[in-house]
Amino acid sequence: MHMRTNIIMSIGLAALLVACGQGETPAPDKAGAGVVNLYTARHYDTDAALYARFTEQTGVQVNVIEGNADQLIARITSEGAASPADLFVTADAGALWRAQNANLLQPVTSEVLTAAIPANLRDPEGRWYGLNRRARIIAYDSTKVQPADIDTYEEIASPRFRGKLCVRSADSVYNLSLVGALIEAWGPERTGAWTRGVVANMARPPEGGDRDQIRAVNAGVCEIALTNSYYYIRMANSDDAADRDVTTRVKLAFPSLDGQGAHVNISGGGVAANAPNRANAIRLLEFLASPEAQTMVSAGNNEFPASPNVPAPPPTDAYANFKAHPMSVATYGPRQAEAQSLMSAAGWR
Amino acid sequence: MRGLTVLRLLAFLAAAVAIAPLIGVVAAAFGDGRADIAAADLVRYALTSMALAFLVGLSTAVLGSVSAWLVVMHSFPGRNIFAWALALPLAAPAFAVAYAYADLFDVAGELRTWMRAVPGLDWGPQMRSLPGAAFVLSLAFYPYVYLTVRAALVNQSSQAIEAARSLGCSPTQALVRVALPLLRPALAAGVALAVMETLADYGAVQFLSVQTLTTGVVRSWFVYGSLEAAARLALPLLGAAALLLWIERLSRKGRTDEAARARWRPIQPTPLEGGRGLLALAFCIGLLTLGLFLPAGWLAIKALDISPDWPRLVRAASHSLGLGLGGAIATVILATCLALSAERMPFTARISSLGYATPGAVMAIGLLAPASLLWQNVPGAVSGLGVGLLLLIYAYAARLMAAALEPVEAGLTRVTPSMVSAARTLGRSETGAALAVRLPIASGAMLTAVLVVFIDVVKELPATLILRPFNVDTLAVIADNYARDERLPNAGWPSLMILALTLPAVIWLTRKITASRPGDLNGRH
Repeated sequence: MHMRTNIIMSIGLAALLVACGQGETPAPDKAGAGVVNLYTARHYDTDAALYARFTEQTGVQVNVIEGNADQLIARITSEGAASPADLFVTADAGALWRAQNANLLQPVTSEVLTAAIPANLRDPEGRWYGLNRRARIIAYDSTKVQPADIDTYEEIASPRFRGKLCVRSADSVYNLSLVGALIEAWGPERTGAWTRGVVANMARPPEGGDRDQIRAVNAGVCEIALTNSYYYIRMANSDDAADRDVTTRVKLAFPSLDGQGAHVNISGGGVAANAPNRANAIRLLEFLASPEAQTMVSAGNNEFPASPNVPAPPPTDAYANFKAHPMSVATYGPRQAEAQSLMSAAGWR
Repeated sequence: MRGLTVLRLLAFLAAAVAIAPLIGVVAAAFGDGRADIAAADLVRYALTSMALAFLVGLSTAVLGSVSAWLVVMHSFPGRNIFAWALALPLAAPAFAVAYAYADLFDVAGELRTWMRAVPGLDWGPQMRSLPGAAFVLSLAFYPYVYLTVRAALVNQSSQAIEAARSLGCSPTQALVRVALPLLRPALAAGVALAVMETLADYGAVQFLSVQTLTTGVVRSWFVYGSLEAAARLALPLLGAAALLLWIERLSRKGRTDEAARARWRPIQPTPLEGGRGLLALAFCIGLLTLGLFLPAGWLAIKALDISPDWPRLVRAASHSLGLGLGGAIATVILATCLALSAERMPFTARISSLGYATPGAVMAIGLLAPASLLWQNVPGAVSGLGVGLLLLIYAYAARLMAAALEPVEAGLTRVTPSMVSAARTLGRSETGAALAVRLPIASGAMLTAVLVVFIDVVKELPATLILRPFNVDTLAVIADNYARDERLPNAGWPSLMILALTLPAVIWLTRKITASRPGDLNGRH
């Protein structure tokens, strides 16, 4: 073989060995002590500190695979009974339901968890638990819109906002969960009419993420935008001056669903159906539900703590004093396919 | 004979690696799950996919062939640099180019905000749209056309064009009536590559909010929870991939560069004087700026705002590098075995290339099927780091076999039957002849293939996302995670580090290709 090719191959193999060596060999502990394998769709810079804190408290090593929820669900499904997954963590009750629906989660009863997490923020059978909370609400142009114009979810679809609404695609699980909640509250017919109103109100075809909608309000593309709360709070406290400027004109409104409060969702986790380290998975879940961890996550990603007894840390505390709808977040997932079909029929891309 | 069997066994292994995911998709499609996706939506997705492929095909054809024609047939300032530099955008992952342009021209971005303040200036291209996605992908993929057309132009020798000129054709007439028909096979091959990459794209199109058939696949799979319905939607995409491969193959039959080799003389470039030279210079600079400098520069500006998590990025970079080299070498070894046996099993070699044009979401379905068999049936396989890395390398080989096979096969065509016969007469076995004669001659081509696959692996997303072992992130994975969290400045750093890894490889690759001449045994792939 050619000399050059030989050299390349040697370098390649050496590099591969180095890469392998840096993988911090995970190998789940067969005895069930020592490790917990976490499949997570939440990834923040504070995660490393969070897991280190857990390891410090319990001695249990945390192995992580990050990805988006759907990829992780596909992977755990493929791994089947052999799956090393112990704990699955993701944002949105709709995504947790997808894992539950694929039979990837097992019921867990824990006094610590039931005491820490309100009943409407967890699966009634204990397959998953909310850990932090977010609201899906409205960012509005304070120069053109009065808070009273937008204090209900009906108003998002009202003729008052024809061509003045920015919203992301129907592919987003956040939107699917919101529409699922509306179906739960209003039934499919009234919700269908609402989705048609939303489509009629769109200032542009859905594009980008929630942050992009907030910025579009500031740019004058639209007057109101549907967004998750933490995106706005993150912008209001950003290191980037341009982001902070956006929030001087754009303000946050918490519309109320049937007078009972804003639509809330969770990020949360559940113990995997075939968890080889079940006890450690429950310990990690309990740790994530502890006041300390809820506060750490909230400080890192600007979600609200799930537990009513854990105060939101600054800067999120400034927005935490809203009325949340008491609907169980477990109702969103089963309505997901119906929600997608309604939105699709209305032309919500 | 024994050695021959080993070679053939390896070739069959290579084919099995490449074909397993496709079998996985087809097998899944026969289940009876349902997804309630409206027919009107499906038609729209399919039309969007076709329109995107058409637009990218058309614009890469124009950009790639015009730049190749300028650089080969003319002399103007900077020509020798552009000869290799025009291929540099190959180093940039399409998703990173998409992040940069979407942000740069965002209606609420700094640029448009500033423009709005100036009366009459409030306009900007809509990047999050079908034309925007076509623009981004055309810039990312035109180098494929540039490289193939350039090689064909250099190889066709000056004779045909000189003959046309001496018979009274103007330079333009010579181009239209002689050069272009001769170039058609190379043009078709380059465009087929660009369109295959477009279909396989994962990340850029989705980031730009363009809904294609891939959207339908993902919706069926996850919202409606039906893998079977998703796989059925994937079948037409596999069909399109096969069609493109067939076109690429067919176009190759017309290649005539072999005949011209014996009396090959370099083309005498036409000098472009004054304004026309500056125009050519401006075109090349413009293309490079749009394809590389502007998006990379914008990501750099955004990235400077934040201080990244360096240890994590450096670890990811070492994973990208190691997987890139490991994946490239494994893929090229397998592709070489396939190529050495290609005369005996041409169909197998062709079908092994299908993964290259298969959309990322579809490939994910296919790759998980064989991985699942392994995970569920081999104790310990599911969490072993070694097994995990092997699976990843297997996935890269399955996805990128075509990218390695193409140059290696081209390199092997330089070996004439008489060379092999001579070796056999001198007492070598068939495998011995392969090792002593065919491989050394093709070694330059094998190096080309290693570089091509390395570049693709470092930019690779879908297979890495879904198959990687615990605690192993690559730069592409980190960039994708940040982009999904809508944290663009954070996505800038890993994107730029990908460039730092791929740029040297692209420069090496293109200098190697552009320095070669027909008849040069180690040169052109």
